[in-house]
Formats: sequence, C-alpha cells, structure tokens
Amino acid sequence: MKKSLWLSFLFLCLVVSACAKKQTVTPEDVNPSEDPAATSFAQEPSIRGVESENVTELETVHFAFDSSAISDDVLVTLQNNVKYLKANPKINVVIEGHCDERGTTEYNLALGQKRAVKVKEIYVQLGIKAKRIVTMSYGKEMPIDKRHNEAAWAKNRRAETKAIKK
Amino acid sequence: MVATVSYAKKDVYLSLSTKSTRASIGLADIIPTNATSDEMTLSKNIKNVLESDLLLSRHFNVAVAENTSYKFDLESQFAYWDTKGISVLLLGTLSIEEETYVNLEVKLYDAESHEIIWEDVYREKISDYRYLAHQINDEIVRRFTGEEGIACTKIVFTNDSTKFKEVYLVDYDGYNLKRLTKDNRLNILPKWIPDSPQIMYTSYLYNNPDLFVIDILKNKRKALSTIQGLNSPATFSPDKRNIVATLSRGVYPNLYILDKKGVVLRRLTEGKHIDTSPAYSPNGREIAFISDRAGYPQLYIMDAEGVNLRRISTKGNCDSPTWSPQGDKIAFTMKYDDNFDIFLYNLPRKRIIRLTEGQGNNENPSWSQDGRFIVFASTRSGKSEIYIMGSDGSETRKLVDMSGSSFTPSWSQTL
Repeated sequence: MKKSLWLSFLFLCLVVSACAKKQTVTPEDVNPSEDPAATSFAQEPSIRGVESENVTELETVHFAFDSSAISDDVLVTLQNNVKYLKANPKINVVIEGHCDERGTTEYNLALGQKRAVKVKEIYVQLGIKAKRIVTMSYGKEMPIDKRHNEAAWAKNRRAETKAIKK
Repeated sequence: MVATVSYAKKDVYLSLSTKSTRASIGLADIIPTNATSDEMTLSKNIKNVLESDLLLSRHFNVAVAENTSYKFDLESQFAYWDTKGISVLLLGTLSIEEETYVNLEVKLYDAESHEIIWEDVYREKISDYRYLAHQINDEIVRRFTGEEGIACTKIVFTNDSTKFKEVYLVDYDGYNLKRLTKDNRLNILPKWIPDSPQIMYTSYLYNNPDLFVIDILKNKRKALSTIQGLNSPATFSPDKRNIVATLSRGVYPNLYILDKKGVVLRRLTEGKHIDTSPAYSPNGREIAFISDRAGYPQLYIMDAEGVNLRRISTKGNCDSPTWSPQGDKIAFTMKYDDNFDIFLYNLPRKRIIRLTEGQGNNENPSWSQDGRFIVFASTRSGKSEIYIMGSDGSETRKLVDMSGSSFTPSWSQTL
C-alpha cells in the first residue's frame, strides 16, 4: 500500500512537472518566409499522457522494408480510413509509425516517424484537417509479431491510425 | 577518500613503459593489520579487484604472489619478487575501522632500486571496496601513462527482461548491476551527459518518445524535452550548454539545437527526409549524424551551426555515430553485407576500417574515456548482449550476464 501510494505520488509529480514544462519557441526560430500551409500542417497538439484506442474502421497499413513509400494497396486502405474520418468529424487521431526488428534503434525511430508523416500527408491531401492528426513513432520497439521471419517483419512494418480518447 | 598524499619525485612514472610494451606489476598480498578473518577476506577481495583492473587496463602484465607473501618483511618481499621479472611492486596494508570502514595504505616500489615511486592512503566503506581498488588502479595508470584510467567508470544500457525496456547501470567490469527505471514502460537510448552523473534517455512514460534526465546520485529524474512526436535521439554538447536533438514537430525528423533545459533554439537541418543520430565532436565544433537524403541512411558531418555539410560513407546503411574522445575517429554501425557491424572512420586519413565481422549484428558503439576501448551491443551469442573490445577490435569480453536482451550501451567518464 505504502509503495503504491508513493508510486502514484511520484507519477503525479512527474505529470505536474511535465505539464508545467512549456516548450517555447524563440522568435528567431519563426521563419517569416515559411509557407502558412506547411506551418498549419506541422501544428500538432500534444497528446502526451492521453490514451488512444483502435477503431475497427481505421485500418493499419504496411510498408516495404526500409521504406515509407505508399503503395497502391495502402492508398486504398487510407482512402477508406478517410471516409470514416469524414463521417466522424469529432474523432481526432494519432498515427503511430512502427518498424520491423532489423536495423538500428535510432534509425528505426526516425523511420517510424517518416511512415506516420507519409500517412498524415495522404489524409490531409484527401481533405482531413491537419489539426485533427497527431504523429509519433515507436520505432522497432512495439512489434505485433515477435517472431524473427519475413512474415512477422511484414506485419510489424506498419502505421496504425488510432482514435484519441477524450 | 581521505588521502595523505606524498608525491614521488616524478609525477608520471614513464621510464618503465619503455622497457616493453607492458610494464609488469608485482601484486603482493595486502597485509591485514589485525589478521581478523574479515580483514583477511577483504584483503583477498581487494587484491582480486586490483588484479582484474590492472589486466583489464591492458597497460600491464600482472604477477600475483602466492597466498603467503603478506607474512614477509620488506626485505624478504624484495627477495621473493627478485626472480619474478617485475618492474614495480605494489604493497598494501589494510585495517578495518569502526567495523564499517576499510583503511588501505599502498606503496608502489621500483623493483630494482627499491625506491618508493608512490604511496597513498585510501579509506572507504567496506561495501565500497571495489571502488577503492578501482581508484588505486586509476592512480597507477595515471602515473604510468599520464592518462585517466577507466576503472571508476560505469555503463548504462537497456534490457528487456521485464518484458518492457528499462535502463540499467553497471560498473565497467560488470559488477554492481542496478536497474534505474521501474516504469513498466519503454525506456530507450540512455546516454551519459558529459562529465556528470546524469543520464539522458528516451521514455514512453506518457505515450510519446520524450527526453528525460536521471541523476544517479540524487536518484531523481525529470522531463527535458516533451514536444509531440520525436524528441530523440539527442546528445548534449561537450560543454553541456546545448542539446542537438531529433525533433519531428508534425513533419519529418530533422535536427534542432535545444538549450540545456530543452527549449528549442534553432533548426539545424530541413527537408522531407530523416536526419537523426547526432553526435558532437569532442571540441563541440562539428556534429556527425545520419541522413537518408541520399535514399538510404548515410553518415554525414556538418559544422555545429548546420553548415559545411560533408557526406562520409558512400555505401551500406549507417547509424549510431560516436566521436572518439581524441576526436580523430568516429565509430559507427553499418550494414555492409548481411549484418550490422562496427566500423571506424579515421578522419585524418579519410578511411573507413571494420572492427567486427561474422559474429551476428554489432551495433551502438560507445567509447571509453581514454579512447582505448569500445562498448557495443552484439547478437553473437544468439541474443543481444553488451560487449567491450579494444578500439582496434581486439580482445572482446562480455560485460555482464543477465536474462533478456540488452541494447544501446553508453560509457561514462570517471564518476
């Protein structure tokens, strides 16, 4: 009991200190020539500490090895996801990029992010407002199939679109 | 350490190292003043750690006395060691005080002239006897080579035996293994902040790859950079004033300069591609990093201001560059054929050489502070574990045996 109390206190402290910590951007960082569309594209609300959930209609898409290219099959799936998002305008989503176990920790972290952004680009091109979308990467840290073969790797190279819980 | 230092005539005792590549040290039994069983055990333990440290330093050959040598007086000691071909002799006397502390007086003799080269007194808690021995080793190394030893360093890494990934800390010789995070979450890429007892790492505690700092002395941690999306990989500048970090900020992972509190100061790279895995040169003037702007991840160097970009590698898939403490080499991971291996880029010679080959995947090199060793993760045993090799690729040893797989080591300076 004592321990769990202490742990929840520690957690609270962390949450408070994390929330209190503002990420400020200094004026010289703002580039006046920057495309306003690009700026709004990059504006993502923080969903740190917020849970998200799988929605049956929002399907996961897969990628080739060491690639973030959107294949024709993937495009069809993303179009279906967009239909659902248009029908449910109150749902905001997080796109989680994932990689297979091959390759290094750091590069896969960046590759997962690149995959998430590619999916976000498609969603925005198809008419979803960028401010409804948040991107993040788990790199190779969260495989859904832990085996070490091509079948498992193919499943793990993915971008999941999840609904952000309110 | 309470020290009564009486410096020898020469501060750095270099003359012996010219006789052969490695000086030979005679390691006598440490004399237990009161000859209690506790003192005798401690005497043996400290001598064992010293022997291990001196051998691991790879600066010395070590001759160890048989278990009776502490009964000798000084004259018989020299007579005993005369035939052993040593150049210096280390004698020690210890006592346990207040049942808590160990007091150890050490004397290093020139084996030929019988002159005292160095003497000192060390005092630590009995439980810290390994640290006591490590300090003596590093002082001997300093006196022989003028360089800082590595015995008082530690290595951080991640391990997945809890089914999550947590950060662990271990002495450079594999002892004193300690778990630092207990989140049941993903904690990855721990990295020492230069010249400090603090470790920066990436945590998914709040479902986002945020940068955290943990202080191993204060046992406290705090969030450092918590922008939505990537905040990592990141590295502190050698002067600890800035951080170069991979941020995504809603788009592609590029490099940014943050101040030491995590405030974004400026953007370093831009483009619809990956720029990541930044590493500062020891003088802080340049940054090595990985970019896939050529279509696949390659090693680049730029000035710390983000200009004067040069591509270093021309093939393979590269990652995890890390600058040698002397600044003349960059160790990195490259997938050249089937597996990932550790390579060195020699900057003055502009040449890439291979350090590991044919033993699984070998990744995430990190240098010892003297530049003579590299710690890395390897799958050579069938699972990923942490190993140390000479920075020429020689004499690899496993750092620590533990369950689960271990990844991404980072080597501290003297703590």
